[in-house]
Amino acid sequence: MINILSPIQYIFVVTIVLYLLDSIWEIGSLFRPGRFSKRLADYFILTGLSFHCAFLIVVSIRSGTLPISTLFESSTFYLSLIVLLSVILKFLYRLQSLTPFVMPIVTGFSIASVALVRNDLTLTYNLKTFWLYAHIIPIFLGYASFSVSFILSIMYLTQERQLKKKAFGPLFDSLPSLETLDALMWKTITLGFPLLTIGLVSGTVWAKTSNILGLLWYLDPKVLLGSLTWLVYAAILHLRLGASFHGTRVALVTIAGFIIVLLTFIGPFLMGHNHGYEKRSLTLEQEIAPETTGITKVKS
Amino acid sequence: MNLHTVGLNHDSAPVEIREKIAFSASSVPIALSSFVHSFPLSEAVILSTCNRVEIYATSSDNSLNKESLLDFISAFHGLPKEKFADHMYHYQDMDAVRHLFFVASSLNSGVLGETQIISQVKEAYITATTAETTGSILNQLFQRSLNVAKDVHTRTSIGKGNISVSTVAVDLAIKIFKNFSEKTIFIIGAGEMCELVLKHLVERGAKTAIVANRNYDKAKSLAEEYDGKAINYENLDDYLPQADVIISSTASPRHVIHTEHIRNAIKARRGNPMLLIDIAFPRDIDPEIAKIDNVYLYDINDLNKVANSNAEDRKKDIGNCVVIIDKEVEKFMAWFEELKIGPAIAQLRNHFHEIGEQELERLRPKLGEIAHEEWEHIVYSMQRTLNKILHKPAKVGKEKAKNGGGYQYVETIKHLFGIHHKDDSKK
Repeated sequence: MINILSPIQYIFVVTIVLYLLDSIWEIGSLFRPGRFSKRLADYFILTGLSFHCAFLIVVSIRSGTLPISTLFESSTFYLSLIVLLSVILKFLYRLQSLTPFVMPIVTGFSIASVALVRNDLTLTYNLKTFWLYAHIIPIFLGYASFSVSFILSIMYLTQERQLKKKAFGPLFDSLPSLETLDALMWKTITLGFPLLTIGLVSGTVWAKTSNILGLLWYLDPKVLLGSLTWLVYAAILHLRLGASFHGTRVALVTIAGFIIVLLTFIGPFLMGHNHGYEKRSLTLEQEIAPETTGITKVKS
Repeated sequence: MNLHTVGLNHDSAPVEIREKIAFSASSVPIALSSFVHSFPLSEAVILSTCNRVEIYATSSDNSLNKESLLDFISAFHGLPKEKFADHMYHYQDMDAVRHLFFVASSLNSGVLGETQIISQVKEAYITATTAETTGSILNQLFQRSLNVAKDVHTRTSIGKGNISVSTVAVDLAIKIFKNFSEKTIFIIGAGEMCELVLKHLVERGAKTAIVANRNYDKAKSLAEEYDGKAINYENLDDYLPQADVIISSTASPRHVIHTEHIRNAIKARRGNPMLLIDIAFPRDIDPEIAKIDNVYLYDINDLNKVANSNAEDRKKDIGNCVVIIDKEVEKFMAWFEELKIGPAIAQLRNHFHEIGEQELERLRPKLGEIAHEEWEHIVYSMQRTLNKILHKPAKVGKEKAKNGGGYQYVETIKHLFGIHHKDDSKK
């Protein structure tokens, strides 16, 4: 698989190595703070993120558009936003225990995303429109925000369980208070929701005006799942604001919401619906196809 | 040149004796200056806390020993020596250093790992430096002891985890709530333990307190102390929804807070979490309450369990502390021995070079007319010979110093060559 990687993609391999080291140091510093220094962990995550951004910038410059031309690129773009958001939250709220939860997951997904390099699905339509930016950037930021809120809910449930069961493990000291986690969960959801809304609205406008998803664009699985995600998070907002819905239950629903986010992101691909992505070879065929069918029609 | 410690602590002496031997903060400087008055070439630090009274002293002559130190204490307090001598321990040199490092690192404290002792040692040292009764040795010793204590506390878990019930309760509270400035603390029963927890929470920013007690006056006096509100014990249930933290310790034989009350309260609070701490025995709060969502209930058993397991964790780390301390004791002793050996080696060197110069002076007239260059060769050759002879003994001396016993070694050499204690006779 290695020889499939282009030289640029090796920048991403460096990123993965740094993320892996960071994950080890982040988890190590929770359990053995003497041996694994937090400063070194900060160094790993920051250089890792820099390499990650450098990779995405190079990719963007080469393709002249956002790094979403292939499934591999869009996955790494999404992961970089999660890391970026986590780093911001970590330093803004002195939340030492967030990255130990985020980084192993991000590292795992990063490694998995390398497998997507072989996947040659490519965006088929004109990528330089305003609508692409208006659709993709808010949607990706929204998804990253929901992903962080998902990790915060896991942290919340871990801490909640320790407090309820009176079993105070080594994580007890490093995890923040339930109130802090609850507030951050709320913040990331309320950040993600408007972004998702903007992304969905601009996507709708784009689909209707440019006809890229066909006339039945609203039946595209990604569109349907995206709307479902929107409904789930709208429900969370409603429940938390309106009804007596706090803490544990919000955390559980947030986790459910994230599973739908994941489904929206990769599900349609797995099911064979491509939401504007096509196989490279297919696109070529499609360009020729109308003529050939025309000829066959004539012949018949 | 020796280091001495005499003292007593909570283990060696009952409080009645400790009280009599203790130096008040104001009397420490007086005692120090009277000490250096009695022993003019000495350095001294007095550490006097409610758990221990210790004098650390060293002197460049050999005027100090256990008896002379006990005499000083006896004279200063006007107390016959027999009354306290049995309770006093005495350590010398390496043992004294080790003892101080143990004390500063709170391995010698009543409560293992408490941090107050570090500031007390620091205080004692600063008092002595202000009284100008410390010199190079005690400066080095005390500065190192503070570093060792810091090292021990950061590198081991000797001071980690709270080990008193009231602080454990606060530890739990800060894992549920972020800040206490907008939280309401509800105290039921105005016992000492409740007050202690309330006090800790107020220190963390809690501003609102409600106090309920069967005896309204008692409730009122506690509430006033913390700018809180006293309520009638009968109206207790009405105030539950306001409470973020409830601390209960009544003498009631039956449950005071029932499941229904809290279920209603949490509904009224729209699921905002509640922390209930039941310090009473028999319990005040129905244990079934713990099953309600977003309610966290801990009773005295739970708190004790956490406190005990923290205390156990501290004990487990004693071994690691001792390793750190022993390494530092060794380093200090090497420095201390080198300090002693440095002047001794210089003395040895001077002695030999003096002999050399005398011989050269005797030789010069016998040679008659020789070139200046030739004479320089002779002088140079003599110095080289002496340095070569002295190189090995000096090197071995320094090595011995690092492993202890260097002082004795040099003394033997001095004795061998008939070198007298010039320094001592000067002083």
